[in-house]
Amino acid sequence: MADLITRDKWDKAAETLDLMSGNGELKRWLPFKTGLFGHMESGNILFASLGTGLDISAFPPGRTITAIDISPEMLKRAQPRIDNYPGEITAELTDIHEMPYPDSHFDQVFTSCTFCSVPDPVAALSALHRVLKTGGRLYMFEHTGSRYIPFKYMLDLMTFITRKIGPEMNRNTVGNVRAAGFDVTEVNNLFLDIVKTIKAVKPLN
Amino acid sequence: MDHRLYFIFGDLVSNFITGILIALCAALLVGTGWNMFVAMVVMMALGMVLGLFLALALGILFGAMEIMVPVMLTGMFSGMISGMWLTMAPVPVIQLAWLGAITGLAVTCIIWLVNTGLRGISTSELD
Repeated sequence: MADLITRDKWDKAAETLDLMSGNGELKRWLPFKTGLFGHMESGNILFASLGTGLDISAFPPGRTITAIDISPEMLKRAQPRIDNYPGEITAELTDIHEMPYPDSHFDQVFTSCTFCSVPDPVAALSALHRVLKTGGRLYMFEHTGSRYIPFKYMLDLMTFITRKIGPEMNRNTVGNVRAAGFDVTEVNNLFLDIVKTIKAVKPLN
Repeated sequence: MDHRLYFIFGDLVSNFITGILIALCAALLVGTGWNMFVAMVVMMALGMVLGLFLALALGILFGAMEIMVPVMLTGMFSGMISGMWLTMAPVPVIQLAWLGAITGLAVTCIIWLVNTGLRGISTSELD
């Protein structure tokens, strides 16, 4: 059953996402995202969540990518960027918790600022674990909570304000990746221990 | 924190603006009759919350999280120090502006240093 509350929240956020994230934030992190998404290979790739498609500019050309998002408004705004991508992006409207793909369907999974946004991060990561092939790799660009005072408490305060209109700022995403059954192979902090890239693998057993 | 001039300048200016505005807000709110502890707590909280809202606007130009964290800290410290100072004596506006700017500079430098220590591959979070 579709999560209409989450869909509504992100439909509303779509109106301002390009303004809030398409200028300074994109400029600041584009080199790092280009490096991370440069790991996209020639197989079957899942990208979650596409949003308005701002991250497409960091994708290497010529890949075959299934990009999902829960918000129809986000995907509508992403369409021009999808059309301009020199490769194949199939945008699909789906809830990450209830993806319609068979087990072990994708060779690689990429995410960008996804796990601050989903209602149940461990369940969503478990769903990614299910659709990823054994030995397949997960690459994430995420912002998370901090383990250090005062940043930890500041992010808790921000979350109190931001969770109604957008993301949660205080999640333990590295712990959630591990709880979903992945082996975490690399955590690279980009700003304090808050903005980071995470690499993980679906273990053989 | 970033090594590109646009972001170094942007981080610094964002914290200057926040520090100065919060110090000037304190001048509007806090008077010499206030209890120093109350002024400190009220202006700390107000500085942090106002900093969050300023960061939403400044974040459009310079990035969300990387502006929000230092700007909230600048708001907190600028509010706290100026609030306490204003309970002791009337302070000229120009001195409050300087206090806010110096607070912004100090927070920017501290975040730079902390970030230098934390950024990069983190082995403590690996399996």
